Amino acid sequence: MYIEELTLTNYRNYDKQKVVFDKKINVIIGENAQGKTNLMEAIYVLAFTKSHRTPRDKELIKWDAEYGKIEGRVLKRNQSIPLEVIFSNKGKKAKFNHIEQKRLSEYIGAMNVVMFAPEDLNLVKGSPQERRKFIDMEIGQTQPVYIYHLGQYQRILKERNALLKDLQRKPNADSTMLKVYTDQLIEHASIILERRFQFLQKLRKWAQPIHQGISRGNEQLNIDYDASIDVSEDVNSEKIRIVYEEHFNHIEQKEIDRGTTLVGPHRDDLIFYVNDKNVQTYGSQGQQRTTALSLKLAEIELIFEEVGEYPILLLDDVLSELDDYRQSHLLNTIQGKVQTFVTTTSIDGIAHETISEAEIFTIHEGQLVEER
Amino acid sequence: MYYPEPISKLVDSFTKLPGIGPKTAVRLAFFVLDMKEDDVLDFAKSLVNAKRELTHCSVCGHITDKDPCRICDDSDRDGSIICVVQDPRDVIAMEKMKDYRGKYHVLHGAISPMDGIGPEDINVPSLIERLKDEEVEELILATNPNVEGEATAMYISRLVKPSGIRITRIAHGLPVGGDLEYADEVTLSKALEGRRDL
Ligand SMILES: Nc1ncnc2c1ncn2[C@@H]1O[C@H](COP(=O)(O)OP(=O)(O)OP(=O)(O)O)[C@@H](O)[C@H]1O
Ligand SMILES: [Mg+2]
Ligand SMILES: [Zn+2]
Repeated sequence: MYIEELTLTNYRNYDKQKVVFDKKINVIIGENAQGKTNLMEAIYVLAFTKSHRTPRDKELIKWDAEYGKIEGRVLKRNQSIPLEVIFSNKGKKAKFNHIEQKRLSEYIGAMNVVMFAPEDLNLVKGSPQERRKFIDMEIGQTQPVYIYHLGQYQRILKERNALLKDLQRKPNADSTMLKVYTDQLIEHASIILERRFQFLQKLRKWAQPIHQGISRGNEQLNIDYDASIDVSEDVNSEKIRIVYEEHFNHIEQKEIDRGTTLVGPHRDDLIFYVNDKNVQTYGSQGQQRTTALSLKLAEIELIFEEVGEYPILLLDDVLSELDDYRQSHLLNTIQGKVQTFVTTTSIDGIAHETISEAEIFTIHEGQLVEER
Repeated sequence: MYYPEPISKLVDSFTKLPGIGPKTAVRLAFFVLDMKEDDVLDFAKSLVNAKRELTHCSVCGHITDKDPCRICDDSDRDGSIICVVQDPRDVIAMEKMKDYRGKYHVLHGAISPMDGIGPEDINVPSLIERLKDEEVEELILATNPNVEGEATAMYISRLVKPSGIRITRIAHGLPVGGDLEYADEVTLSKALEGRRDL
């Protein structure tokens, strides 16, 4: 799939901008603070209705403007589909083929996007939350129903934690309501965990050979799912449910004492190993970077496997950061099949034949100009 | 912007209504100034009367001008079935469908520890009392199909189950008086799949 055109209105530092993109590689060159990341972000938001760098939608609206709008046409399965996301002080709206979609899970997945930016190193180095976000976003964009379960789970979790806080203060209170929330929580937790296990198996399958390729055969990548319950990865949600039930039963008092939910997908993590050593703890900068890159490239293949078309790849400021070997490995993998957006302050750092075929844009103060 | 005090007060009153921002409030206030005096008086009276003359039915909790309400008082209705809803508007919506001949119990909310609302803060205790006094065979739980509504239904179900009363759950498409938040919520598209036993 690819974006044919994009129109930004009062979005970040863009007043009004319409661009027609190349099917393959688009390079966006500009000095700092001209709007490169904003453009990448706009494409990301069109796919997810959320920014990758802020949870506050208001920041996306141009200062002093009443509303901000991103419109695009995506070619998918030989059909050109108009997509639209609008932000205003009343909230946001997402339209698929001009029809407003009331539910996030009905909109997401219309367009698949993989973004790789310098902060993606946090995937390996950062907090467990970053890794959970990675899994959730990736499963969500190929299985919208997952977003539904995740939303319900988070809502129940908040209620349950509030109740546990109450019970902590009044230890002799009736715990019927806690049992209700535990049941509800488990219902969604077991489906979330099942989907994560399935996702992980696919991720490994793709990431391992890719990592081996990038490391010239020197490194073997392994990924573990660190679950807060003891359950094997190949079981279904029914079995997972039973394990959760036993576990929650067992720790009820402890949860009341602590006033918070101690088990569940919101407590889980991923662990990456290179040659059997934990990369987060022991990996070098380069190994961490390679791991993040392998995961992102694996994601591209995984989406192709699930959706039948390659996603759109956004490379914000990373290409020039990679050494020549990694750079060409990346570009060789995507060459000719993945629509890719590359931002950079200078094209000098990128020496690859794909760039010679690319569409080049320059950007200055929120104005995009096509160079060739 | 400076307005004469009576107008400011009127604007301020309008902004207390849901969905009315300052701009709309100003527009409404100026509209009222242009209305005929009789119409304005009627309007003011209706507001006050709606508040003064309506109470909550002491049996079912529905809004009413006489107590017990017309539904509770109607001997043609089947008292062996009680439909539990969150909001008086749900009763009105159900009554429009004209299919249902049982009685109601209006909870006035749903349990939500996050908002500090426990079972005692809504009409759950009065429901339990009612089940002891009346000959009820079936309880239909028609709370909203969101997390809080589901949890409330499950809670009531746990309390009532030992009594042997049949408990069913009705799933409506969109919650009638419910809030449909854009981001995280998807209403279950189980609309009118009938009642399921809990
Ligand atoms: N809501 C907004 N309204 C107007 N301008 C904004 C808004 N949000 C951000 N900006 C401005 O957009 C400019 C460009 O930001 P952007 O992050 O896209 O730069 P960049 O080209 O990626 O730069 P760098 O090379 O440093 O990463 C910033 O100067 C910022 O002040
Ligand atoms: Mg940038
Ligand atoms: Zn009544």
